[in-house]
Amino acid sequence: MNLDLTSRTGGGTATVTGGPEKAPPSSAPPASTPPADARTPDTSAAAGLVPAIQRRLGRGKSIPFGRLLGPLLLVLAWWGASAAGWLDPRKLSSPASVVTSAQELWVSGRLQESVQASLSRALLGLLIGVAAGVVLALASGLSRVGDAVVDGTLQVKRSIPNLALLPLLILWLGIGETMKVVVIALGVTVGIYINTHAALVSIDARYVELAEAQRLSRWVFLRKVVLPAALPGFFTGLRLAVTAAWLGLIVVEQINATSGIGYMMFQAQQYAQSGIILVGLVLYGTFGFASDALVRLVEGRVLSWRRTITA
Amino acid sequence: MATYDHRLSDGGPVAEAVESAAVRVNGLTRSFGDRQVLRNVDLTLARGEFTALLGRSGSGKSTLLRAVAGLDHTTVGTGEILVPRRVSLVFQDSRLLPWLRILDNVVLGLPGDDARERGRAALDEVSLGGRASAWPHELSGGEQQRAALARSLVSEPELLLADEPFGSLDALTRIRMHRLLRRLYERHRPAVLLVTHDVDEAVTLADRVLVLDDGDFVLDLRIDLPADRDPGDPLFQRHRTTLLGALGALPDDRTKDTEEPS
Ligand SMILES: Nc1ncnc2c1ncn2[C@@H]1O[C@H](COP(=O)(O)OP(=O)(O)OP(=O)(O)O)[C@@H](O)[C@H]1O
Ligand SMILES: [Mg+2]
Repeated sequence: MNLDLTSRTGGGTATVTGGPEKAPPSSAPPASTPPADARTPDTSAAAGLVPAIQRRLGRGKSIPFGRLLGPLLLVLAWWGASAAGWLDPRKLSSPASVVTSAQELWVSGRLQESVQASLSRALLGLLIGVAAGVVLALASGLSRVGDAVVDGTLQVKRSIPNLALLPLLILWLGIGETMKVVVIALGVTVGIYINTHAALVSIDARYVELAEAQRLSRWVFLRKVVLPAALPGFFTGLRLAVTAAWLGLIVVEQINATSGIGYMMFQAQQYAQSGIILVGLVLYGTFGFASDALVRLVEGRVLSWRRTITA
Repeated sequence: MATYDHRLSDGGPVAEAVESAAVRVNGLTRSFGDRQVLRNVDLTLARGEFTALLGRSGSGKSTLLRAVAGLDHTTVGTGEILVPRRVSLVFQDSRLLPWLRILDNVVLGLPGDDARERGRAALDEVSLGGRASAWPHELSGGEQQRAALARSLVSEPELLLADEPFGSLDALTRIRMHRLLRRLYERHRPAVLLVTHDVDEAVTLADRVLVLDDGDFVLDLRIDLPADRDPGDPLFQRHRTTLLGALGALPDDRTKDTEEPS
């Protein structure tokens, strides 16, 4: 078959015969993978030609463990300020005395006990909250009836901070563990719900059309199209939810707790032990940081098909 | 006017009515607002017939194709459309799901235990056998469209609908895709309805070319050329001129002006 290309190919043929030998060799290196350094501007080039280098608009390569850099700098500054004697040890103890406090707490077993109490609270609240958020998002994202019943309610809940619900929850559930877990779960549910629901209802119409053209059953459509499309939204929600869980934890541990990191800090406040208070803060910060990193890790694995600007 | 329910053709006694024809359309109208895009269109496609649908931009080609594909749930209109049970659709974009690997995209919705085997065979047919586990974004535009072609053929359709499937490809890739499509067509023999605005593409590929203008067909042209077509052939040129005339795209055309319908 010899098809006449002239009417349609136009400049396209140039891509086959290749441009390099047509261009002045001094200014335009071959287009095929020159190392970046080889592309340095050659000002002696023929008039009107510029080096084929574009400003890189992406964010560039990621720094390994780069996320740790900021917190480390902060600790370093704290250390320096303490050593220089700029900080009143009664108000803010030095990192060294915080480490000593942590050691003492560890030896007495109070540290492990408090961490365990707090972690199990936060984790339980998180699990219940995520499950509830996902179920509600599916109910309202996939059916009009569910949407009518659930969505408005959750939007109302969204505008009432958990703090405002506390008096009622304490009245209903007392000040025990149940109330604490419920408060944490409530905060988590909303974050998961809002983002997962938004992702479910904003699915690309072109994919729905494809699913119809392929005659997918409703179940396959859900499994292969809707849920994968909603996963990025779910993960956004999950990262917010994890933050919400720690926040909820800190709030509920201020209320008559008899165990946990918050309780440990409250007692330290009574005896003006700023070292222990700082141990608690560092713990909260570390857990928040580590859990976010964990969610990101899982997100990266699950959404490996995504090619984003951070890649 | 009522919204037409395309599901009439899904099985049931109506499907039996389709015997010699692959598509039968009677009195099809479609409107957007007050604008009637299709006016009482009748169309019969024979089994195994390769038909190209030409028309100016906005002439209603996609509207007709989407109606035949049963995808225009919300469009207002009347008429009867009968299609075979197995219909496949190729879109202008490859429309691969980015979260499924190529093979999983190809077998999406394909029933049977041997689905993956058939998917691999279909990928081999479009020379993508080695890319089964690649992500869609790792493929070039032409490769993506070949994967989409594999997805549409793996179900052995009796009717293949395609809306400008090569519109986004460069000219050379497009010519290779023409040969591929023609080869696949000759092997599988589905009826094909190919929407295009490229006259050469229509004459190169199809055995019959329909021209849509102002809501109805203005030309139904048989292309009696050998399978391996030479654009230099005088008959090829004559068909080309006829079609360009019907499209109002000839410089010395006196019967029709070339301005876009409003
Ligand atoms: N969803 C819609 N809502 C309103 N008008 C529409 C819609 N879809 C199509 N139209 C109108 O119907 C007419 C026919 O559209 P259609 O997409 O069928 O044209 P086409 O022949 O496929 O054109 P092209 O070659 O540019 O793809 C156009 O005037 C278009 O503006
Ligand atoms: Mg169109």
